[in-house]
Amino acid sequence: MGKPKAKVDEKKCLACGGCIAVCPKDAVSMCGGRAFVIVERCISCAICIRICPVGAISGEV
Amino acid sequence: MKYDVVVIGSGPAGSVTARFAAESGSKVLIVERRAEVGVPVLCGEGISQKVDDYDMLEGRRWIANKVEGARIYSPDGTMVKLSAEMAGEETGYVVYRDIFDQELARSAAKAGAEIMMKTEATGLLKENGKITGVKAMQFDEEFDIEADVIVGADGVESKVGQWVGIDTTLKPHDLETCVQYTLTNVECNVKYCDFYLGKEVAPGGYVWVFPKGKDVANVGIGVLGSLSESGMALKLLDKFIAGHPELKKGEPVRLLAGATPVAEPVETVRDNLLLVGDAARHVSPITGGGLTTALEGGKIAGETIGMAVREQKFDRETLSAYEIGWKEAFGKKLRRNYIVKEIMLGFDDKTLNMLADSLKDYKFEEFSTLSLVKALVLKHPTLLMKLRPLVKISEV
Repeated sequence: MGKPKAKVDEKKCLACGGCIAVCPKDAVSMCGGRAFVIVERCISCAICIRICPVGAISGEV
Repeated sequence: MKYDVVVIGSGPAGSVTARFAAESGSKVLIVERRAEVGVPVLCGEGISQKVDDYDMLEGRRWIANKVEGARIYSPDGTMVKLSAEMAGEETGYVVYRDIFDQELARSAAKAGAEIMMKTEATGLLKENGKITGVKAMQFDEEFDIEADVIVGADGVESKVGQWVGIDTTLKPHDLETCVQYTLTNVECNVKYCDFYLGKEVAPGGYVWVFPKGKDVANVGIGVLGSLSESGMALKLLDKFIAGHPELKKGEPVRLLAGATPVAEPVETVRDNLLLVGDAARHVSPITGGGLTTALEGGKIAGETIGMAVREQKFDRETLSAYEIGWKEAFGKKLRRNYIVKEIMLGFDDKTLNMLADSLKDYKFEEFSTLSLVKALVLKHPTLLMKLRPLVKISEV
């Protein structure tokens, strides 16, 4: 089983862009007014999960 | 499609850059990913009265409320008041950021800049290693925009800098993660912007109450990224409101999230590409406020670009006039405030209470973070020893 990758809950995301700003691998982009994770680039560092102000990002194996 | 300048992002820094470049005779295009300039708002909407000196905004429609000062509350509730004692003097505004941004975009358009909505810049156009414009997408249509100068005004989550190898990734320690309600039917003092500090209130940040009118206020929180856990900002804000009956009785008409850099500025000129505003990290690391620096920096960027277009010189050396310009205008202030941020993050609640107690009757000479820092240095020379040379520098 691999490490959990970041996943954005579109219903919760308020599009602040914080996760994009901190992602060390440029794995998060804004897409249609919501943050979107490019799974192949995600290194499971969980930084985006911790900084999300509304808890819209979680880890998914 | 060929322009002298393409500006990516229609926030304050982008619009002001576009305006001054256009006023200098350049053919300017602003591309905006969103469907409305300034919407959604991602901001606490507080700004210093310094904005009046720039004379960039017409009319008063963008102002929700004028305030006379700020009240800072330490963890035990001790209040330090920063206000201009002289009668009638204004110290700051709470603004409608959507109208604010649209006014600036309108001035850019008035100067001749074109604006394309729902248009995302997706990458750079290059020819023989030289940047010749941007690739763009509007709705589903992809097209090229040729330009001699590219401006990244794409905010805290800037991608434009990364396209040329400027590392704009923020460390969690250098980002405040924010959430804010606009609450109606609250009781608030329209004269003051309030700030609440403390480890339990907002780790590495603060809660703010900015009155937009007699019963409407922006109530928000910023938490330092490195101290944040998933969803912490919203939970702590809800807790704060629940503990304040005058706010608890209100109802929200808006909920927004935001992120603000509290970092040292990055390199802002690479070849014929410039970064402005939040993308350039032109934000005070103490307050997280970046509106005035966005306007000031944008003007310098726009004028520099105007000069480059007139001379048809788009090399790094010519465009570096922008970097030299903003460093002169506010580079020292940002550096100093970054050091102050680092020192303040080391204060525990007890120290904050002690500092607030020592300043509670202090008469501040002006309404600014600098006057607060000066007072602290004066009262606690040993505690803030590291700052003494910096405060002197900033007075020059």
